[in-house]
Amino acid sequence: MSAISRPHLLVLPGLALLAFIYAWPIVGLLRTAFNEIGPTGAMVEAWSLQTSREVFSDLFTYELTLNSLRLSLSATAIALALAYPVALFLFRTQSRFRGVLAVIAVMPMLVSGVVRVFGWLAILGDRGLINTLAQSLGITGSPVRLVYNWTGVTIGLAESIMPYMILALLAGFGRLDRTLEEAARSLGASPLRAFLRVTLPLSLPAVTLACGLGFVLSMSAYITPRLLGGGKVFVLATEIFEQATTNTNWPTAAVLAIYMLALLGVLAAIAPAAGRRNKA
Amino acid sequence: MSYLELSALTKRYRETVAVDRASLTVEQGESVALLGPSGCGKTTTLRMLAGLVAPDEGSVSVAGVDVTRLPAHRRNMGYVFQSYALFPHLNVLRNIGFGLEERGFKRAEVRRRVDEALTLVRLGGLEQRRPRELSGGQQQRVALARALVILPSVLLLDESLSNLDAKLRDTMRQEIRSIQRKLGITTLMVTHDQVEALVMCDRVAVMNAGRILQVGTPVEIYESPGTRFVAGFVGRANWLAAKRSESGRVSVWGTELPIDAPRGQHLELFVRPQRIRLVAVSEPTGGDVARLTGRIARSVFVGDYVETVVQGADGELTVETPSGQPSLHDGSEVAAVWRVGDMRVFARDTT
Repeated sequence: MSAISRPHLLVLPGLALLAFIYAWPIVGLLRTAFNEIGPTGAMVEAWSLQTSREVFSDLFTYELTLNSLRLSLSATAIALALAYPVALFLFRTQSRFRGVLAVIAVMPMLVSGVVRVFGWLAILGDRGLINTLAQSLGITGSPVRLVYNWTGVTIGLAESIMPYMILALLAGFGRLDRTLEEAARSLGASPLRAFLRVTLPLSLPAVTLACGLGFVLSMSAYITPRLLGGGKVFVLATEIFEQATTNTNWPTAAVLAIYMLALLGVLAAIAPAAGRRNKA
Repeated sequence: MSYLELSALTKRYRETVAVDRASLTVEQGESVALLGPSGCGKTTTLRMLAGLVAPDEGSVSVAGVDVTRLPAHRRNMGYVFQSYALFPHLNVLRNIGFGLEERGFKRAEVRRRVDEALTLVRLGGLEQRRPRELSGGQQQRVALARALVILPSVLLLDESLSNLDAKLRDTMRQEIRSIQRKLGITTLMVTHDQVEALVMCDRVAVMNAGRILQVGTPVEIYESPGTRFVAGFVGRANWLAAKRSESGRVSVWGTELPIDAPRGQHLELFVRPQRIRLVAVSEPTGGDVARLTGRIARSVFVGDYVETVVQGADGELTVETPSGQPSLHDGSEVAAVWRVGDMRVFARDTT
């Protein structure tokens, strides 16, 4: 008995670390959520639901929720559409540069999120690459607004989650076998039909995994919505940051943070069930 | 004009030539094997036929129609892959019905034809199973049924039996052969197993290093190998170093044999172990046989036959005698005799 259970002891250091950096702060967060803000604007220690009541009776909370969901869904969808072909190519290529290509594909992860945002400003800004080009080609007369709005944030966010989704897809493609596509072709399926009937269905577990990851990352993203949104794009993550720093309203920030955690938990619980129903 | 014609098919990968001007004709309803060691280009040839690999040169035609540039999905060839390549997300029914669905058959018609195919390969009752719930032999049958149900112009088998255990392989050989005969379907199979090729096919094409060396019936290939490679690859053989005697005949171990020597410095005499008879030295032999004498070095009982090694003046000779005959003592002197028609002479350094 002890001989069998002994390897399990190996997880203890990891568990201890997780308890320390994850579980403990959440307990702190929970505690803070019950505090109140006094008349002076300072936090008052309390055990009340006053802050929660204020947050959940404010319609702005639900607007933020919808904004977050809509932004995350569209960013994930765009990133998936771009990441899937890249991942499939990387999975299949026989090139000896495969390793190098894979590193290039996930390279954006090595660049700080702030730096990447400034890169996007240089491309999407009013006097950025795209607008300059469009104007000099006479496609548009005046600059098209591509940043400091939802468009810019969606583009920036999709790009920032793409490398993670490529990695998740590559990890999930394990079962894909080129021979299966050849079998489909020999049975009369065109390349497109072979993809739709064989490759795509077999890659769905990988797609689910990648989308889950991309969605969670989008929901919790703060830098991109904040900087590319130019103060005009409001989502849960930016609001939490705003309350915690600018307003120093920690109880409200804590309530919103727990709310978002619960939201993701619920989504994680119902998403696989919905996926199963689709397949049946 | 033959039903299936490959002419001068060539495929290069960088510097290496995988298939070198392979030409072959197959008649309608005929079963032909591409036999050769791994890496000889036989699978590449099959894949070019199916349209899965584009040839650099040469052409493929079926029933007089050039299909060289036709994409795989429009060739209507049934391909059974070595790994079977069954779709893991589809059950047996949908796996077999895949090609029919692609051809736009109605549901009921698909079902009817799949049922027929299932009966043909004796798999009734397993329609709802997923491939991973089937044994290797059953997967093989599903793959075969899936390729046959589309009524292909040609059936292509790529090392299709190599993943089965010996006993099952034997059964499947017989079964595929009888299905092939019953449907009269033109078949081209790739194998490195000579028994498979000889048992399952009307004709055999022996390949090595990208080239088709000899095409013939199993008996022709076995009895009259045209090259040293073919002689060595199919069946067991003795290779005896030989010289050209002054009278232009072949001489082995200092004994002249009744066969003419070809041109060439280094000659090798080929004779199969089971074609040699061991007789007493005193026993006279007729004129139309080859005869070498030596001492028995050792005998090994192998069950169906006894393998005896005869030590001669300049080398060894392996002889296979059916078991159950009086054994010869080690060290005793014997004469090894065989008919003139059972030996061949090859000049070495040529394939």
